[in-house]
Amino acid sequence: MNERWLLSRRNFLRTLVGTGVIAASDLNWWDAPLISPRRAWGAEPVHFQFSVPEPTRITLVTSLVERFNQSQKDFAVEVEFVPQAQARQKLISAISSGSPPDLCQIWDNWLGQFQGMGALEDLTARVKSWKHQPDVQPTAWQTVTVGNAIVSLPLSVTLDAIFYRTDRLKEYGLKEPTPDWTWDDFLALAQGFTKADKNQYGYGMRGAGTWAVLYPSEFAYANGAEVLKDGKVVINSKEGVDALAWYMDLALKHHVTPPSAATDGFVEIVETFGRGVTNMYQHNSGSVGQQKKNVGADKFATLPVPIGPAKKRASFYFSETLTGFKNARNKEGAWQFMSFMLEDEPSLMYCKTLGLLPARKSILDQPDFKDDPALAGFRNSFPFTIVSPYLAYAGWGGKLDSDGVPLMQQAIVGKISPKECLDKFADILTKNMS
Amino acid sequence: MSSVQVALGSRRARPLLSLRARTLLTGYAYLVPAALCLLATVAVPIGKAIQMSLYADVLFKPQDYRFIGLGNYIYLVEDPVFWLSLWNSFVWVFGSVVLQFVVGFAAALLLHQAFAGRTLLRTLLLLPWVIPGVVVGLIWEWLYQPNYGVINDLLINAGLLHDRVAWLSNPDLAMAAVVFTNVWRGIPFFAIMLLAGLQAVPDELYEAARIDGAGVWARFWHVTLPLMRPIIVVATATRIIWTFNYADLIFVMTSGGPANATQITSTYTLMQAYANLDFGYAAALSVVLLLVMLAFTAAYLRITKGVEEAQ
Repeated sequence: MNERWLLSRRNFLRTLVGTGVIAASDLNWWDAPLISPRRAWGAEPVHFQFSVPEPTRITLVTSLVERFNQSQKDFAVEVEFVPQAQARQKLISAISSGSPPDLCQIWDNWLGQFQGMGALEDLTARVKSWKHQPDVQPTAWQTVTVGNAIVSLPLSVTLDAIFYRTDRLKEYGLKEPTPDWTWDDFLALAQGFTKADKNQYGYGMRGAGTWAVLYPSEFAYANGAEVLKDGKVVINSKEGVDALAWYMDLALKHHVTPPSAATDGFVEIVETFGRGVTNMYQHNSGSVGQQKKNVGADKFATLPVPIGPAKKRASFYFSETLTGFKNARNKEGAWQFMSFMLEDEPSLMYCKTLGLLPARKSILDQPDFKDDPALAGFRNSFPFTIVSPYLAYAGWGGKLDSDGVPLMQQAIVGKISPKECLDKFADILTKNMS
Repeated sequence: MSSVQVALGSRRARPLLSLRARTLLTGYAYLVPAALCLLATVAVPIGKAIQMSLYADVLFKPQDYRFIGLGNYIYLVEDPVFWLSLWNSFVWVFGSVVLQFVVGFAAALLLHQAFAGRTLLRTLLLLPWVIPGVVVGLIWEWLYQPNYGVINDLLINAGLLHDRVAWLSNPDLAMAAVVFTNVWRGIPFFAIMLLAGLQAVPDELYEAARIDGAGVWARFWHVTLPLMRPIIVVATATRIIWTFNYADLIFVMTSGGPANATQITSTYTLMQAYANLDFGYAAALSVVLLLVMLAFTAAYLRITKGVEEAQ
């Protein structure tokens, strides 16, 4: 047989295999709706870093990215999923080496530090001419504004409320709490819910991660305390100390928290509630979806944080952001994808699937959010939300984790008094007001 | 013939270097690529870390970047968390390595005996070492979980515990809990290294000792241990350095908490770099860590060499 023919047949077979592989890898195109012609081969890549707290987001974001890539032909978003614990470290390394992704998904409490590094792209001009700009909640714009520059688009917003078990409430014959409940009501409910012999506790206190500082701070605001007043750190005021003492007594005096409270982070507080170990916990709406699966939608409800002795209460408002970088290679592609994610359908799908609240008012008013009883506590919290006071200085971001959390842990286990804890914390904040 | 050779020889240029020098230089020339690689991957980063430690280098304050001399080191001396983390590092390192060595040696002696299923047991013993550190941390974190962890359940069901114990949340227990996990993970390292050493000890020495009337303990003390000394020195020194720098397990299990009870210098360095973005201070911590380890290794090797010479 002719040698040239043999070679040609081999090439033919290779081509056949290659075509098969391309076709197989391309099959998922048929599953998604065709919005517009497929993108051109020359579409510019857009590198997107997404930090993944849980697997649902991987599927969801992959699907949304796919939709964006099909909806236009100029840009192809390539998403990189990074575990949340490594996301910050990876971004810092990428920024320092001058090769950040084109955009990333991060929480607003990192923005100050990144802006301080001179890493963020100023989106103010783009945002001002963006069609949905007036529809985004003003507080959400506050959270993504550093100095006078808007540096991100708020993908979703979060505020804290109290989750509680409605089935256990009936089981133990406890009084149904109302949205205007007080600290005393909260404590009475936590005590009623605590059955240590059954390994059940009233309140899943958080002792690890940034929110180990933020949750007691919200209680401090309910007692009339503030973090910053007239340019001075005043968290260690009498009101602040009294509030922290009351909060720590939940663990030290009333024993309504699980013994693991000092190191319980996000996963633990959500998991212990889901497994029926705790009957209340404080969190944002991000764990609503998980509790619907774990506990059942009819067995839990949410309430705003309780009113304190100062007849006040506060829920800290945060944004999950899409943020672009100054040294990005494809700024236009990044902006196109960011704004796509805040369009009606992607925004609705993203927030509804994850139990988050959309930043756009018109979407928040849709039945998926307005009529979901599990979100009632969060909707009722909007009137008293405030932007987290810890966003005031870039230097505070890391100090909450490196110094604030260990101080709170020492207070939870009773190694230091609430006053000592807050005096030291105030000192650290004062030294890092930059 | 010889006159021709002499004539040719006199025309040949005299070599610039002697044969010995050329041989020596050729040898060094072969080392140059490896030396350059070492320089680029070891010396340059260390030099860069030392340089960084002399600067105020907080990433989100680029306008404040400046030379501050020993400023970071002075701050370090006054930082109580650094001293606590250094003490914790010693507890973590020596607690882990001593127990790993003792249990690992016992396992190696056991596995050196002939018995049915020895090969299977040797393979199983390697499992904790094969699992990545982060996964080990996650597994043990859930085992220790006070509310629904297996350890508490087993102890309560066995009647050994009455109340649930918060192993990782109690500052008095947390370090012991993470050390125990590290011991579990590190036993295979010592077992395999020491088993290799045991297999190299000639059987004739044991025969001779037995004939001389030496019992089990005497054979272990006077035959096994002296012959195993080089491998013990290398294995423990390697493991000590390794454990000193090993942050994964603590980072995953406790993040240095509760209340810095498990904060070791390497996790504290990581936190300064990636939570506070204070790379200058983190570099100073790294340099101190390097000096501590250098001093320790030098002292350890000197002492063990001294012991060997005395033998």
